[in-house]
Amino acid sequence: MINLMANALTSNTIQTIAQNTDACVKIETGLKAVGRPAFTLIDKNTDKETRKYAASKELLYQLLCFGIYLAIIPPIFKEGGFKLAKKIFKNEALPNFKNAKQMLAYHHLAYMTPEERLLEKNQKFLKLITEDLVNPKDNGAKLREYLIGNGKDKLGLHKRTLEKQGKMFELAKGSIEFSSIIGSVVGLTILAPELSHLVLHPIMKFCGLEKSHKEKPAEQQNTLNKNA
Amino acid sequence: MGLGKAIYNGLKNVCTSLGKHNDALYAVLAIAMFKGIMRPTFTMMDKKSDKETKKYAAFREGLTEVIAFGSYIATHAALVPLSVKWAKKAGVSPKKLKNGVSLFSVCLSAGVIIPAVCNLTLKPIMDGVKKLSEKKNKMTKIPQTEIQQTPSLNIKENEHIAENFSQPIKSLLPAEPKGNLLQIMQKNYTANNNGMRVGL
Repeated sequence: MINLMANALTSNTIQTIAQNTDACVKIETGLKAVGRPAFTLIDKNTDKETRKYAASKELLYQLLCFGIYLAIIPPIFKEGGFKLAKKIFKNEALPNFKNAKQMLAYHHLAYMTPEERLLEKNQKFLKLITEDLVNPKDNGAKLREYLIGNGKDKLGLHKRTLEKQGKMFELAKGSIEFSSIIGSVVGLTILAPELSHLVLHPIMKFCGLEKSHKEKPAEQQNTLNKNA
Repeated sequence: MGLGKAIYNGLKNVCTSLGKHNDALYAVLAIAMFKGIMRPTFTMMDKKSDKETKKYAAFREGLTEVIAFGSYIATHAALVPLSVKWAKKAGVSPKKLKNGVSLFSVCLSAGVIIPAVCNLTLKPIMDGVKKLSEKKNKMTKIPQTEIQQTPSLNIKENEHIAENFSQPIKSLLPAEPKGNLLQIMQKNYTANNNGMRVGL
């Protein structure tokens, strides 16, 4: 059981997720959306109605955060951050990745052994690493050859594989992660609370979880009349 | 070295370091820290709620994020060192297992530990703070209830007072006053007002 868990935690998928800010924050927000309302519901310190109200509000808030995250992080911060980093670090001779997706696909494959990279399930990542991608620091060596070689040895792999070269292009990968962290902070700490003020209460009223403001004065009026 | 170059080098170092190793903890800690600052700030800026409610809500939000921040670090610190021994036993790469355990600790904190700790600690802490602030308010303000409960003088029931109107009023000053008039008056005033805060 312990060995199974250790194998699962060291799998390539978990390794890619653990090194990817975008995936980590998505998982964290998803777990918060489940965990926080669940624990609010089992809290015995408050009455049932309050618990229901607080749990549904928390669930809606976390779903809103998740939505904001999906909407702004990949297109704006991940892609935008990568393009900005290419401009800022133009003198660092980074490989000519066209977008963040290409860079991340390369990084995902780079974590694997050369044999694993050729597996059918990894072809979608390999397809993104086109022949024109080169490393200017290594006399224009092709990145595809780093990963799967050029068919010169018996496994179909070139001798000059990634492990021997140790080229992970940390600066390019790090710039994507850094902009994703900034995006997560902006999205979840500035945009989400502000948007929730605008959206959360109308949604809760629509779902019947909160009384509308129009009903309250009417109720108050009734009580006043009775007293009179 | 100019400021621009220093910023460039700093940014390059941060990006390279994140590219080499991006722990799952970094992003969640950054989010918890900024949430702990921004959410209470936004709450305090809300003009619709009254001041006391805003203070209470902002403190609660801040406290939640402090708990979250602490929980992430504590869980990470408790689980990650175990991964080295575990990797030896299971025969897997310690570095890879460390990454995996780090992600697992973040998931465990977000899904279970933080909500559980918040459930257990938030209410007692908030109740304690509320009691403290009430105590403080009692000490600084004149209690309204005491003012309202002071019995009004009923002349009809206290006719002996009315009868004594013709008699001369006794002086409050001592027979042999010590010090000047101001000191005597201050002495008499403070003697009759125990527990009152004067001059604040």
